[in-house]
Amino acid sequence: MTFSLNLAFSDLLLLLPEIFLTCWLCVVLIVDFSFPRVPQDRLAYLSVAGLVVTLGCLAWFDMNHVSGTLFGNMFVLDRMAIFFKIVILGATILVILASIEYVNRFTLFRGEYYCLVVMSALGMMFMVSANDLLSVFVSLEFATLGFYVLVSYLRDDLASNEGGLKFFILGVLAAGLLAYGISLVYGETGKLVFSDMASAQPTPGLIIGFLLIFAALGFKVGAVPFHSWIPDTYHGAPTPVTTFLSIAPKAAAFAILLRIFLVALGTFKPLWVVLLVAVSILSMTYANIVAIAQRNIKRLLAYSGIAQVGNVLIGLAAGTKMGNDAILFYLLAYLFANIGAFAVVIAVSQAIGTDEIEDYRGLSRRSPFLAFAMLLFLLSLAGVPPLAGFIGKLYIFVAAIKEGLYTLIVVGLVNIVISMYYYLIVVKQMYINEPIDPSPIAISGPMKTVIYVGLAGTLVIGIYPQPFTDWVVSATLMFANFVGPSVTIIPPGASLGG
Amino acid sequence: MGEYALLYILFAPFAGALALIFISNRQPLLVRSIAASAAFVSLLASLYLFYAYDPVKGGFQFVQKYEWSKQLGISLHLGVDGIGTPLVLASSILLFAGIFVSWHIKDRAKEFYIWLLILAAATIGVFMSLDLFFLYFFYEMSVIPMYLLLGMWGSHTKKYLEMTDSEGLKLRDSVGFILNFGSNSKEYAAMKLVLFLSAFAVAALMGILLIYKFSGLNTFDILVLREQANLMNIPVLGTTLDKIIWVLVFFGFASIAPLWPLHSWSPVGHAAAPAATSMLHAGVLMKLGHFSIIRVAFEILPETTRELMPIAAVLCMFSIVYGGFVAFYAKDTKYVIGYSSSSHMGYVFLGMAALNYISLSGAVIYMFAHAMATGMLFAMAGWVYDQTHTRDIPSLGGLSNKMPFISVCFVIGCMASIGMPGTVNFIAEIMIIVGSWDKYPLQVIVAMLGIVLTLAYLFKMMRGLFYGPMNQKYSHAHDAISAVDRLPLLIMISISIGFGIFPMHLYDVVRSGVDPLVARITRVVPVAQAHEGSGVRSEVIIPGTTSTVPVVASKLLPLPSQVSRGEGE
Repeated sequence: MTFSLNLAFSDLLLLLPEIFLTCWLCVVLIVDFSFPRVPQDRLAYLSVAGLVVTLGCLAWFDMNHVSGTLFGNMFVLDRMAIFFKIVILGATILVILASIEYVNRFTLFRGEYYCLVVMSALGMMFMVSANDLLSVFVSLEFATLGFYVLVSYLRDDLASNEGGLKFFILGVLAAGLLAYGISLVYGETGKLVFSDMASAQPTPGLIIGFLLIFAALGFKVGAVPFHSWIPDTYHGAPTPVTTFLSIAPKAAAFAILLRIFLVALGTFKPLWVVLLVAVSILSMTYANIVAIAQRNIKRLLAYSGIAQVGNVLIGLAAGTKMGNDAILFYLLAYLFANIGAFAVVIAVSQAIGTDEIEDYRGLSRRSPFLAFAMLLFLLSLAGVPPLAGFIGKLYIFVAAIKEGLYTLIVVGLVNIVISMYYYLIVVKQMYINEPIDPSPIAISGPMKTVIYVGLAGTLVIGIYPQPFTDWVVSATLMFANFVGPSVTIIPPGASLGG
Repeated sequence: MGEYALLYILFAPFAGALALIFISNRQPLLVRSIAASAAFVSLLASLYLFYAYDPVKGGFQFVQKYEWSKQLGISLHLGVDGIGTPLVLASSILLFAGIFVSWHIKDRAKEFYIWLLILAAATIGVFMSLDLFFLYFFYEMSVIPMYLLLGMWGSHTKKYLEMTDSEGLKLRDSVGFILNFGSNSKEYAAMKLVLFLSAFAVAALMGILLIYKFSGLNTFDILVLREQANLMNIPVLGTTLDKIIWVLVFFGFASIAPLWPLHSWSPVGHAAAPAATSMLHAGVLMKLGHFSIIRVAFEILPETTRELMPIAAVLCMFSIVYGGFVAFYAKDTKYVIGYSSSSHMGYVFLGMAALNYISLSGAVIYMFAHAMATGMLFAMAGWVYDQTHTRDIPSLGGLSNKMPFISVCFVIGCMASIGMPGTVNFIAEIMIIVGSWDKYPLQVIVAMLGIVLTLAYLFKMMRGLFYGPMNQKYSHAHDAISAVDRLPLLIMISISIGFGIFPMHLYDVVRSGVDPLVARITRVVPVAQAHEGSGVRSEVIIPGTTSTVPVVASKLLPLPSQVSRGEGE
C-alpha cells in the first residue's frame, strides 16, 4: 500500500466541514482564554454557530451529492457518512443548548466543556467517514478521548468520577481489543480498507479478528455482553454528557458496524447473522428486564438505550439495503426521542435537584409541558403510534421479516410490551400521582428549544415519515451493490428516492 | 362534505384535541365547547355517512387513499363498508354523548377532553382503515389514552380487590402486584389494560407482518391482499402458515373484544374508568376486536376462517355464561355492567362463528345496538356514582324518589340491554339466534340462558339501585335536570328505539357489507388438509376447482384468484 499525498485543493473540499469545525474549535478556545469574563452561554452560542454552519455545509453536500474518497481510501464521504454527520452535529447542537444551564454546576473549566463536546463531535465525524481499520481506530479513540474527560466533569461528585473511571478502563480495554483485532485481520488479509476485504476467505484468524473488532464496537454502542459500563457511566456523568453519550457515539459506531458488516464482511453473512441475532436478543431482553427495577431515571434511560441498540441490531442482522435504511431511520427517531427525554431530565433536575423517578411525582401538575413532552418521548421510545419510534420499530421489523428472522421479531415484539411497563411507571409518576411540592417548574429558553425540536421530530417523523424514509433510502444507496448472498427483493420504490 | 366525509369524521376529534392544547384550563366553558363542537362535527359527518352510504352499491365507499410510505408499501387508505359504517356512527354518537356525560369534570378538564377525543378518533380510525398498517396504528393508538384516562380520572374500587393499602403490597396474588402495577385498583387496572392489550396487539402485529411477508406483495393494503395474497398451504411447524396467522390475528384482536379467557383486563378496566371512558370502552373499543377480526382474518383468510371459526363458537359459550354469572353476583354497578358487556360480546362471537348472512348481520347490528345500550347503562352508573360516590349496590337503594328521570332511563337501558322488542338489540339478538341455530344449537341454548341471566342481573341491579328502602346517607342525591345532563341519555335512547322500530336502513347497510364477505367465506374451495401429511409437499392434494354448494347471494362475486393456485407449486 502506497500513500501518495498528492492532494488537490478540490479534494480537500470533501474535508471542508471537518476543517472548518477544527478552526472554529480553536476560535472558541481562544475566545475562552482571551476573554475569561465572557459569560459562558456566549461560548455555547459561539460553538453552536460553528456547528450550524458546518451542518449547512453538509446539507449542501447532501443536496448536491458531493462524494468521494481521500487518503488512499481511508476517508470516505458518501451520502451515508453525510447522513450520520448531520445526525451527530444535530445531536451536538441540541446537547450544547441543553447544557447551557447545567454548566453552572461545574466548578472549573466551563469554557473547555464546549470545546470538548465539539472535539468529540469532530472525532465522530471522522468515525462515520472511516473507510479502513486504521482510520476507524484513530477516529474512535479521538472521539472517546473527549468523552473520558466529559464524563468525569463533575469533579466533586463521586458518582461522576466513578463513572469516568469505569468508562476509561473499559474504553481502554475496548481499544486494546480493537487494536488486536485489527492486527489479526491485517495479518490474515494484508488489507485494511473495507472494500478490499470483500473477497477474503473466512479463516479462523480473520474470524477472531472480526469478533474482537465487533466486541470493541459493541462497547461503544453498548450491546449486551459489553454493556456493563453503561448504567454507571450514564448515571454518574453530567446529564448533558449522558445525553450526548447516549446518541452520538452510538450512531457513529453503527456507521462503522454497517460498513464492516455489509462492505467488508458481506460474503460472510450466514456467519454473522447468528452472532447479531444472539447479541440483539440478549440486549433487548436483558436491558428491558433490568430496566424494570431501576429507580433512577438516568439509569432507566441507560437500560432503555441498551434495549434500543438491540432493536437496531435487528436491522443489522437483516443485512439488507432495507435493513440499513431501517437502522438509519430508527437512529433518527431515537435521536429526537432520546435527546428530548434527557432534556426533560435536565430541566427537572435543574428544578428539583434529583433524578429519582419517585421525584417525578405529579410532574403534570407542576409543569404540564414537561410532563407531556416526556410522555411523548417515552412513548416514542416504547414504540407507540403515532410517534417516530413506532415507525422506526416497524421499519426494522419489516426489514427483518423479509429476511425471515422470525425469532428475532418475536423477541422484539415481546420486548415492546416489557418496555411499555417501565416507561409507563414513569408516566404513572408524572400523571397519576399527586405532587408533594406543587410549585411550578420553570424552563429556560434554550432548554425549551431543545424540547420543542425533540417534539417536532418525534411527531413529524411519526405522522409523515415519507421525506425521512426517502432520505435514508438515498443515503444507503451504495449498499445496494454490496449486500451478500441472500438478497431479497428490494421494493421497487426503494431505488428511487432523493 | 361528500366524499371527504371520512376525513371529517376522523380528523375533527384530532383537530379538537390539537386546539385544546392551546386553551387554558381556566376557561372551562371554552374547553368544553371546543370538545363538544369537535365531536359534533364528527357526529354530523357520520350521520351523513350513514345515510349517504348506498347499500345497493355495497362495497367500500367514501374511499380516500393517500400514499404514506412507498418503501414500506403503506398508504392511508380509508373507506367504509356496511360493517364499518354503523360502527363509525356508534363511535361518534358515544363520543358526543360522552363529552356531555363528563361535562362536570373539574380536575384537568382540558387534558381529559384531549385524551377522550384522541381515544375516540383512534377508534374511529380503526373502523375505517383499509390498510393493515393503519388498522394496527389506530388500534395501538387507542390504548395509551385509556391508560391516562383510567389513571388520572378513574376511581378506586374499594371492596372488591382490597387493593387500597398505600403500599400495594398486601395482595400479592397476581403478577400485577408482584410487579407493583399500582398501589390501588385504578392504577392496577390501567397498567393491566395497557400491558394486556399491547401484549395481544403485538401478536396481531406478528400476524400482520407474516401476511406482509408471505403475500410477497410489499403492501399492507387489505383490498390488494384479499384479492391477491396466497397464504394457503405453506407448511410451517407441522401445520400451515395460514392457521398460524389466523390464530395470531384472531386471539390478538379477540383480547380487546374480550373473548373468554382473555377478558380479565376488561371488568377492572370498566370499573376504574370514568363514565365517559367506560362508555367508549365498552361501547366501541371492545368492538375493535370483532371488527379487526372481520377485517383481517375474514377478509384475507376466508378459508381458514371457515375452518377455525368453531374455536370462537366454543369460547363464546364460556364468555356468555361466565360473564353472566359473575355479573349476577357482583355488587359493584360498574362490575355488573362490565361483565354484562363481556358476556354480551359472546353473542357477537356466536354470530360471527356461525358464518351466515343472518347471524353475521345480527352480530354487526348487535355491536351497534350494544354500544347504545351499554353506553346508557354506564352513563347512568356514572351519574349515580357522581351523586353518591359509591358503586356498592347493597348500600344504595330507593334512588328512584330522588332521580325519577334517571330511573326511567335505567329501565329503558335495561330493556335495551336485554333485547326487548322495540329496541334495536332485539333485532340483533333474534338474528344471531335464528342465524346460528342450524349450526350451533347448543350455543344458541346457552345464549338464551344468557338472556335470562341478563334479565336477572340487570333487574337485580335496578332493584338495588332505585327501589327498596333508601339509604339516608344519599338523600342529597339529585336527578339529571339540566339539558346538558339529559341530552346524552336521550340521544342514546332515541337511537336505540328509533332503529328498533325502523331498522331497515341499518339492516340494508349491514347486509351490503356482510353479503359479499359471507359469500367469499362460504364459497371458496375446501382447504386442502396439508398438515395431515406432516408438511410433506407431495402429499398436498388440492382439489382443483371443485364446485361448491351454490349460495344464496344477491350479488355474485368473482372467485378469489387464490383458490386454485396451490396446484402449481
